[in-house]
Formats: sequence, C-alpha cells, structure tokens
Amino acid sequence: MASADKLINTDVPEKDVFALHFLQSLSNLRTQSPLNSPNKSIDRVRKIKKAAYVSMARAAGGTSRLWSRALLRRAAKDDNKSVRFSRRKRKVTWKISSKRKRSNQRAPVVEEAAERLRNLVPGGGGMETSKLMEETAHYIKCLSMQVKVMQCLVDGLSQK
Amino acid sequence: MDLSEKDEFSAEKRNPDNYDSVNNPSGDWRVSGSNPIDSYPSENLISAGPASCSPSQMMDSFGQTLWYDPTSVQAMGYGGFSVQNNGGNASSSSFRGNIDRSLEMGWNLPNLLPPKGNGLFLPNASSFLPPSMAQFPADSGFIERAARFSLFSGGNFSDMVNQPLGNPESIGLFLQRGGTMQGQCQSNELNVCEPHNDVSTVVKDPTVRSSEQAKPNVPGSGNVSEDTQSSGGNGRKGRETSSNTKKRKRNGQNSEAAQSHRSQQSEEEPDNNGDKKLNSEQSPNSPGNKTNSGKQQGKQSSDPPKDGYIHVRARRGQATNSHSLAERVRREKISERMKFLQDLVPGCNKVTGKAVMLDEIINYVQSLQRQVEFLSMKLATVNPQMDFNLEGLLAKDALQLRAGSSSTTTPFPPNMAMAYPPLPHGFMQQTLSSIGRTISSPFSSMNGGFKRQVCISDLAVCKVNNPRLTL
Repeated sequence: MASADKLINTDVPEKDVFALHFLQSLSNLRTQSPLNSPNKSIDRVRKIKKAAYVSMARAAGGTSRLWSRALLRRAAKDDNKSVRFSRRKRKVTWKISSKRKRSNQRAPVVEEAAERLRNLVPGGGGMETSKLMEETAHYIKCLSMQVKVMQCLVDGLSQK
Repeated sequence: MDLSEKDEFSAEKRNPDNYDSVNNPSGDWRVSGSNPIDSYPSENLISAGPASCSPSQMMDSFGQTLWYDPTSVQAMGYGGFSVQNNGGNASSSSFRGNIDRSLEMGWNLPNLLPPKGNGLFLPNASSFLPPSMAQFPADSGFIERAARFSLFSGGNFSDMVNQPLGNPESIGLFLQRGGTMQGQCQSNELNVCEPHNDVSTVVKDPTVRSSEQAKPNVPGSGNVSEDTQSSGGNGRKGRETSSNTKKRKRNGQNSEAAQSHRSQQSEEEPDNNGDKKLNSEQSPNSPGNKTNSGKQQGKQSSDPPKDGYIHVRARRGQATNSHSLAERVRREKISERMKFLQDLVPGCNKVTGKAVMLDEIINYVQSLQRQVEFLSMKLATVNPQMDFNLEGLLAKDALQLRAGSSSTTTPFPPNMAMAYPPLPHGFMQQTLSSIGRTISSPFSSMNGGFKRQVCISDLAVCKVNNPRLTL
C-alpha cells in the first residue's frame, strides 16, 4: 500500500510488518503481567489496545513520523519508561499553531476542522495545518492496516 | 544530453513548411519530426531524434521550470522559423506573439535561428557543441543580455537576424546557459538589442499581458509572467542587472543557469514591490532557490535548496503583500493535501467542498480508532487468558496473511525482510528462537502444513540472516 505521490511521502509497510509487530507486543503482554493477573476485562482491553497502538507506531515508521513519535512518547510516559529518539537534523520552523494570532486570515472552516483533527491524531497539537494533513494521511493508512491485521487475528483465533 | 536537445530543436527548425500557425498539438510535432530525415539525410543526429524525443526529455534536460508548456514552445519554434524564412519583417507580428510565449517559458532557442538557413546551422552546431560546452565559464553579462534578448519583439529580431555571424563561442555560452541557444549571431544580437531595451520592453508589455491572460491559470504559488505589474521600463533594467548579478553567484550548472535565466526574465519588475518575494530580504545575497513551487506538479529535483525557502511571485491581479502571498502558498498546500486525503478516505470522491470533506476525514479517523478499540475488546474476549502463543498465532496468522496476500505475487519473507524498521533487540530474539524451535516440531496439526512451515522458517531465516532486522 505504497503511495506514489512525489511530494507527500506516505509509504506504509506491508501488512505482515504490522502483524508481526502486533504479535510481538501481544506476546510481550503475556510476559509482562503474570504477576498482576488482571482479571478485569477493562484492563485487558486497555492493554491490548495500547499494545496495538504502540505496535502500529513502531511498524509504521518508528520515530520518523510525528504522530508515531508522539504516540510512543505518550505510551512510554504511561509506563514511566523513556523512549529513545534518534537525532535527526530537522529544520525548526516557528509555525506552532498556538502562536498563530492572526486567525482571521486563515480560513476559519479549515482551521476548526484542523483543531478537531489535532485532537484525534496523536501529536497534532504542535503541527501546522498542512503538516497535520500529511500526518493524518499517513495515520489513516496505518490505522486501516492495523485494523486489517487485528481483524485477521480475531478471525483466526475465533475459528479455533 | 545537450546533443539530444540540439537534435530536437534542429528538427523543429527543419519544418518550416508544416507549421504556419502558432498553435500546434504536440502530436503533430512528433509526426512532422520524421520529415527532416528525408530532407537532410546527411544529418544523422536527428535520425530518430524527433520521433523519439518527447517533450519530457526536453524538459528534463533543461530543468523543469523552463518547460511550462512544451506544445507552445514547439509552436514558437516553428513560428519563429517561418519568420526567418520570410525575412523577418513580414511575420514579425506573429513572431512577437511567439516571443511572448517564449518569454513565459524562458525559452530562447527558437528565436535565435541563424539567418543563413537550415543546413548551415546544424553541422556547425554539431561541431561547436562538444568543445564549446566545457570551455566557457558563466558569463556574468551573458544572462543579463540573454534575458533582455528574450524580451525583444520581432521588430528587433530582424536586426538581429541580419547581423553577421558572431564567433562560435557564443554558441557555447548559450548552450551552457540555457542549453539551447544555437544561433551563432547571438552575442551580436544581444549587443544590438541592448540599446533597444526601452522600446522593446514597452512594446512587450501589452503583448505579454495579453498572452498572460491566455495562459491557463496555474494552481501554483509562482507564475513566471507576473511582469505586468511593472511600473516603469527603464528603472527595471538597473535593478534587473543588480538582481541578476546577485543571482548568478550561484553555480553555473545548466539547470541552475536556465532557471535563473528564466527567473530573470520573469523579474522584469523584480524589486519594485520589494516584498513581492517571500523571504526576499533574507536572501539578497544568497542565491535563493528560484523554484516556483506551484509551477508544475513537482519541485525541481536538480536544484539543491540552499536556504530552503521557496520564492513565490504574486499572480496577476492579486495582492502582493507578503502576508497574502504566504497565505496563498499555505492555502494551496493545504488544498493539495486535501486532495490527497480525498483519495485515501473512501467515499470522498463525490464530496466537494473543504468543510464537508474535512468532516468526512475526521469521521473516518474516528471510525478507524473505534474499530481498533472494538477489535481489541474482541481479542480480549476471545483470548481471556491472554496467553498469546506467538508461534501458534504466527502460524495461524501466516495462513491468513498468505491468503490475504495471495493476490500479490510477492512472497511472504521478502516482504517482511524489506520493510522492517530496526527494533530493540530484546524480545524478538526469543521469539525467533521460539519460532526456530517450533519449526523443528512438526506442524502436523495444520492442514497443508508444509507450505506454512516453509514460509515461517523462511521468515525466521531471513530475519536471522538480515542484520538489519534486529527484531
């Protein structure tokens, strides 16, 4: 599912990558919590969900994408772990959305939608609108891939 | 590369009879391109050239910004050539129209046809080309002259045409500059035309304006033919000179030079409105990247973005405030990305309008996230012990993945081998070892187990062998 767009690179790895990452994280779950033995289903669900997101972020690009980075950081913060980010030469652009005071000049329709998107997409708070939309595109691709993987897994497990 | 360019243009010049009108579809160009072969059998260079050389090749060789519309360039070439045959004055009006087109393109080649006819030019050029290419450094005055020259209307062209042939070095200069100038009388023509600056630019302006209006509106942030906002003719020249010299401090590569050439042409009123360019104050000395980002679909890959800024021109009839320019660039970026998103989100093709589409996108993202949550709940219920047996799961999943990807011809292991990002060492090693262990144990319980065994073992093997897969 690779995009052929020259300007915006939204290449996403194949389904197998996602599958493997997800299974890894799931097996990790098992090794993680034999002590606590959480019987509450909510905890399990939450754990699985988190494992799903983390594995998706890892599979999709590790730390090369803004949203995946934010996701991993958020997950690591919950676990009180620290995430290692590779140093990359990035041009610092002073285009943080919070600093924009001249909101009247931006298209208000777009901006309010962008606000909602920022709440949805991880790491969206610090992005400019155009960058946000790039990240959204990649995020959508990865999400759909992850959904497919999970669907396969559920089907496989339920068939047994 | 330059030889091929020369071939194409020589092919153009050899078809004066076929093209009297300015507007030529590109298909005709190619069709007529085979004609020269009959008339000039000695010329091997274009034997297959015109038929095979596509406008895209021409584009690549000259830098993409120059090629706004290849068909009109070809038309220009033919029109110019017809001027040549008629002695220049008779069809100078049509030539002027052609010149204006060329102004927009930044393309001078067809204008500089040698007065002595077809046959003379090509063999000379072919001999001149190879030695001259390497020799001549960037001439500081050259671009300026070439820029001015391209502006000149047909009235001046007749003068230029009649000038005696200059030294062959001018060809090399032209070739190095734009890669296209093959006329031999260019230096003389330029010198002749310099005193005609005022007249020609004044004459040019209304025609440029009209041709600009004829040009389709590019959905881009920059437009070459933004010259119509000029206030005065003469004052520009001085500024153009200074801006030209500044711009030419860059490397003298062909693409760069061609690009700067064209940008100089376009900047007839370069700094009248000082804030017309984005970041102009930041790059008076640094050779800014002159890509007009919206000019075509993609940016120039050949230009190294030295300072990373994108220079924009105000479009015709629009405010030239730097804020509004930046705003326009931003809006165009956003709309471009929205189009991209539109392809991603299913069912968004019929929807028009930014607001509705954005709502659709948001809904889609929300639905995907909800799906993830729902599936994780399902997983939790299906497997209440949370004992996710990796080997078993992998085996099963491999079955599904293989079934799912059976449509694609790529096999299972190479997919995973190629696309893996590096992961922390920790647990995958144990997974690999566990997979290795399970491989040895028979998969007798599975149907068609052998195939699956193979694929899983391949997966494990490829992961072990590939140093990058530090899973």
